[in-house]
Order: sequence, then C-alpha cells, then structure tokens
Amino acid sequence: MKNFHEIELLSSYLDGQLNANESKRLETRLASDPELASVLNDIRATRSILRKLPARKAPRNFTLTRKMVGLKPPLPRTYPIFRFSTAFATILLVLTFAANSFGLRMSSASAPAPAMGGYGGGLGSGGGCDTCAEEPALQAAAATEVPAATEAPAVEAPFAEMLPAPTLEGTLRETEPAADSMQAPKEGASESELQNQAPVKSEAAIPVMWQVALLGIILLSIFGMWLMRKSAARKWQ
Amino acid sequence: MQVGHKASFDSSIPGGQQKTYEHSHNAIKRTGKIESMDETSLIQSAQKGDLDAFNTLILHYQDTVFNTAVRILGDEDLAQDAAQESFISAFRSISTFRGGSFKAWMMRTVTNACYDELRRQKRRPTTPLEPETSDGEEMDSPKWLADPNMTPAEKSEADELEHAIQHCLDALPTDFRAVVVLADIQGMDYSEVAIAAHVPLGTIKSRLARARLRLRECLRGFEELLPASFRLEGESIQ
Repeated sequence: MKNFHEIELLSSYLDGQLNANESKRLETRLASDPELASVLNDIRATRSILRKLPARKAPRNFTLTRKMVGLKPPLPRTYPIFRFSTAFATILLVLTFAANSFGLRMSSASAPAPAMGGYGGGLGSGGGCDTCAEEPALQAAAATEVPAATEAPAVEAPFAEMLPAPTLEGTLRETEPAADSMQAPKEGASESELQNQAPVKSEAAIPVMWQVALLGIILLSIFGMWLMRKSAARKWQ
Repeated sequence: MQVGHKASFDSSIPGGQQKTYEHSHNAIKRTGKIESMDETSLIQSAQKGDLDAFNTLILHYQDTVFNTAVRILGDEDLAQDAAQESFISAFRSISTFRGGSFKAWMMRTVTNACYDELRRQKRRPTTPLEPETSDGEEMDSPKWLADPNMTPAEKSEADELEHAIQHCLDALPTDFRAVVVLADIQGMDYSEVAIAAHVPLGTIKSRLARARLRLRECLRGFEELLPASFRLEGESIQ
C-alpha cells in the first residue's frame, strides 16, 4: 500500500518533472521495490489510455461574426462632423425658441400698469409713452360721454383746461375715438399702439428664417449620417 | 509576415495541396490545419480588433478547444456552446494577453467556460434526452446519437472504451478533471496547465496524481474493455 506522496512522485517522474537527484533516488527504489514499480506501470497505463483517447473534431467552425462580438462598421471620418453639427444646430434651435419666449415675457412684464389695465394695453407697449399719457384721458372722456350731453358745465371744466376749444360738439368729436377704442378693443390696439408694437417685436424675436435654417441643417445632417451608416454597412458586408 | 486585412497565408488542405488562404472573413472556410502561421502576428492583429486574424486563430485551435470542452463536460452540445462562448470571450479579452503560450491562454478561457457551464447545470439540472422504442420504453444505450457514418461493428469496441473513459472522467471532481484533460488528453506540459487552470505548479502535480489514481481505480471496473497492453495490474493504493 503506497502513500499519496509516493504516487505524486511517480506521477511527476512519468512526466519528467523531477530533477536529476530525485529521479535517481526514485529509480533506485523502483529497482528494489517491485510493488512500487507495479504502481508506476499502472499509472503509466492509465496515462497511455487517456492519451490514446480519440481526439474529437469540432463538428462545425466556431469562427466569429462581427455581430457575435458586437463590432460595428467603421464610419467615415466626416461622420463626427455631421454628428457635431446636428447637436450644435439642435442646441441653437432650442435656444432661439427659448430666447423668443423669454423676450416676449420680458416685454409684457416691463409694460406700464395703466396700459395693462386699459383695453388697449397689451403686448409691446413698453416704449409707447405717448399712448400711456393719452389713454387715461381718453378713458375718462369715454366714461363721461353720456353725462357730457346733459351736464355740460360739470364735464366741461376738466376738458376746458386740456382742450383749446371746449365746445360740446368738439368734446363729442374728441370722445368719439375713445368710444371706438372701448367698443372694439379685441380688434387690436389703436393705430399708435400697433405702430409701437411692430418695432418691439422685431427687436426681441429671432427671425423665423434662422429657425428654419437651423431646422434644415439638422434634417440634412441626420439624413447625411443615415446615408453614411447605410453605405458603411453595405461596404462592410 | 505582415498581417493585415488582406494578408494571405499558406495553409495545407487535405490532399497535400497548398492553397493561398485569403485572409478575409468570407474566405475563411474549413480547409484543415494552418501549418505555417505566424501566430504572434495574428495575435497582434487580433488585439487591434482584426476579427479575420482572430478567426484564423480559431480555425487553428477549434479542434483542441472543442475536444477539451467535450472531455470536461462530457456532452457534445454543451461543449459546442462552451467552445463558442470561449472564443467570443477570448476575442473580447485578447487585449489582456501579454505573451507566452497562446494555447494555454486559450485553454484557460475554455476551461472557465466549461466551469460556467457546469455551474449552470448544477443550478438547473436537466433530464437527458433518452430515445424510446416503439413500445414507449427507453432504450438502454443512446447509440442513435452516434455518427451514422460509423458502423457499429467497426466502432463498437472503441466506443465502449471511450464511453468507459468518459464515464470515469465524469466521476472526477471538476478541478481534477480539467487538469487531467489538459495534461494527459491535450498533452500540455505542467507550466501550460498551471496557466490554463490558473493554479500553482505544485497544485497541478498533486491534482494530476490524484486524478490518475482515481481514474486507475475507476478503469479497473472496465478491465475487459481495455486492450491487453493497458491492463492494470497493481494493488489498490491510498
């Protein structure tokens, strides 16, 4: 009965893993110990049986495809330019929308209180100081339109200071535009307001043409990238 | 030899003819072993992402890898999965290869893939598919799975012995089995086995001795199948 250390020695000896001294010592023992020699023969036979085992051939090729290893086709060098331009144009487009929206809010917030309260008050009245001064007067005149016909002296007094020819007809004529402005506020502001609004809008907003141009760049870049990917994939195949 | 996308190699094909091996993916076909192959150049190309170069290496090693997987797993289908998995894993991690024996490195990936497969098997044990007779009873031996080209008369003895050896291999602990497969069946030296099994050299010596001892005991039960020259005659060893 042999211990495991001897078996390990015999196994290593068979594979030539012992140094010269160890091999010599073991060979001496093998010559004098037939039992040990018999074990060595058994291990040798076992190893031979394993080595004679027929090698199995691969039943198919195990070559890899690009899909299997997750490789993507190499894209042209210009591809990053298109990608950058798309991203940049998108950011710019978002910024233009944000700027327009912000500009509108700012202009409405900076409009004076009377203009806000009046029917004619509204968008783009930031710079219309003349209108601001006229509006209260017009509103007051409109409010007193009916009494002006019956109580002329009471109403005439304030108008007398403002107007050079304080007649009833003149007063009525003067109040007519104010009445108009009351009756049709939804149609828009008075002419002067409209005149003021137009330049304000053109200053705050980024022209639509810019946005259209940016959108065009984005779409073109996306289309270009798509074409590049398709072409690269086709070439790769 | 410079290896690039369009590099070409000489490969021997069955019949002794030399054929220029077009080094492109579509051109890679099974043409036998590539004899004159600059392995280092192929490895370097593969490390740069050249899949064709790596496929050439696969063609060279696939039989060894598959054979190792079959002997460790004891099942051809599982071995195919493990071999494929190991090649994918090897390509992805080839940048970590720092020289030395590529075969040992490759064997390490397949051994790991086999260990993974065995762990999966332990978690989800499956019932082997057994053929049934017309009466609905299970056949004794799944000979129906054998290659139809092999006649039973010619191959029966070899098959029986092979099955007996595989049975004994399967009975070994996984670590011992891997070592004995790499050393005795693949014929790798101890240092290569140590790399492949990722254990120290001393452990390889010890595991190999234990594995041989257990195989010897196991094969004693199949004495009648062994050729006369391989008959085991020693006493029992502890």
